[in-house]
Amino acid sequence: MNPEEVAVLAIGVYLVLLVAVAEAARRARVDRSPDDHFLAGRHLGAFVLFFTLYATSYSGNSLLGYPGEAYRRGYLWIMATGFMMAVTVVFHLLVPRMRPIAIARGFVTPGDWIRDRFDGDRGAGALRIAVAILMTIALANYLLAQLTAMGVVASEATGGRIPYSLGVVGLAGMILFYETLGGMRAVAWTDAVQGALMIGGLALMMGWLLRETGGLGGVTQQVAALRPDAVQVPDARSCANWASTVLLLGFGSVVYPQAIQRVFAARSARALRRALGAMSFMPLVTTTVVAMIGVAAIPKLQALGVVEADSVMPRLLGTWAAEGFLAVGVATLIFVGALAAIMSTADSVILSLGSLVAADLLGRARHDPATTRAGKRLAVGIMLAMVAVALLPRTTLWRLIELKMELLIQCVPSFLLALYWGRLRAPAALLGLAVGTAMAGGAALADIKRIAGVHVGLLGLASNVAVCAVFTWFTPRRVEGHSWDAYS
Amino acid sequence: MRSKPAVASYTSRVPNHNPTRTVPGAANKRRRVRFLLLLGVVALYGISVPWYRSADQPLRLWLGLPDWVTTALLCYLGAAGLNFVAWHLTEIPEPEADRDRASGPEA
Repeated sequence: MNPEEVAVLAIGVYLVLLVAVAEAARRARVDRSPDDHFLAGRHLGAFVLFFTLYATSYSGNSLLGYPGEAYRRGYLWIMATGFMMAVTVVFHLLVPRMRPIAIARGFVTPGDWIRDRFDGDRGAGALRIAVAILMTIALANYLLAQLTAMGVVASEATGGRIPYSLGVVGLAGMILFYETLGGMRAVAWTDAVQGALMIGGLALMMGWLLRETGGLGGVTQQVAALRPDAVQVPDARSCANWASTVLLLGFGSVVYPQAIQRVFAARSARALRRALGAMSFMPLVTTTVVAMIGVAAIPKLQALGVVEADSVMPRLLGTWAAEGFLAVGVATLIFVGALAAIMSTADSVILSLGSLVAADLLGRARHDPATTRAGKRLAVGIMLAMVAVALLPRTTLWRLIELKMELLIQCVPSFLLALYWGRLRAPAALLGLAVGTAMAGGAALADIKRIAGVHVGLLGLASNVAVCAVFTWFTPRRVEGHSWDAYS
Repeated sequence: MRSKPAVASYTSRVPNHNPTRTVPGAANKRRRVRFLLLLGVVALYGISVPWYRSADQPLRLWLGLPDWVTTALLCYLGAAGLNFVAWHLTEIPEPEADRDRASGPEA
């Protein structure tokens, strides 16, 4: 059996395992309420919560996009460890305040927060819809990145036996199947399997690369000889970009709908604390390893000439698999681990998208089983639309992440500022959101990515917050009491 | 307009659901330590970006990596440790529904 046939077989075994997990999750279902389908009845314990947060955070971007960026930018990409860790740091601002309110009031989607927090304000409905639209666009973009990555991995791992288009369509169908069958419970359980595969696969791959290239010192010397820019101390513009990326990803990821929903879904505050505490270390054992793999690929893939950024990881694995039967086995495990990571993110995104569109955009009742059905149907529709887009020519995975974050980060004031500043009202938040989004969206259309190394989305956020502050400053305080005045 | 459950008790600065945290002095100390830990995380992030280094310095290896990369990684390792402890010191008040569920089965 050749390596490509082994990969096809391994993918088949993995998909059968997913079906079994999904069926177990369906049997564990308590009822058909949105609470049970979208939040697993709010019973996720620390262990499953940790793995689902891990597998959701580390996606196709992490395993395909990040090695590609490290290959292009060299050691500067160590910034990825910082920005992935920043997510659990910035969560300190959100979780302790939002979690108790969410539980007391039965929130299911991020829009429930907007509805509740700005209740009675003029423009509250428009703000909820605007936030939901931004989140939907950002998540659809994220889903597109995962579908693209699924197609690349399936095609590269099997030497084209599973073509890119079949990889996208077939794996998207599988995700829809188990997500529809078991909801958040199936997603979280499959995430646990997928997370374990990902950690194991990355550790094995790093070990192989270090052995091949003579350890870290050997890698650095070889890279320095081939690409001196890849080891150089970054200049001022690159340092500004490093800091800007940490802030963009740190703050942007906090308002990921699927991350917020996991905060709602935790079984207890203690489980959430333990899971988030443990997540602090995961960038060191995942993102750092992935970045090192990308740098180590510079001497390894030199002979292949120009390599597309997103193909660095599959090319490396292909090179490894050519070394013998044992290498084929381990490389296949890593391919399946990569596929697992991508699918685990895609399933969380599609689950969140279904609930977001059904409850926040279409205004369906959040505790009505009809909302669950609508969410499932919408998830299918969105998935089909994104599959169609994924089959068209694409941009790099990293650029898709940047675009998503630059829009998503504009929702931050409606969550973080609103949690800490009782005077903030819906009109100010809506105006700020409009200004920030116009800046970020306009710059993207004009193909302006950064100004002096700083992401335009971050500058949009600064304008967004400034508009919120100025508008609120000139708006007289409401005379009557408001429950949120406690935050002033 | 529907009535909202009061939230002030959930977000007040001295939650006292856990008997081990009922002493205001102990709770204040935990909060102070957590705040200092998070300040430490921010400081380490500041040091991790080599803005204070000249871009034309020659390559120096430390533990097999360019020294500015090793510095950044050590900063992130420190930040992860401080953040881990900070999460364990974080008080997330538990409403009744939350505590009832905590004693039920896991999903």
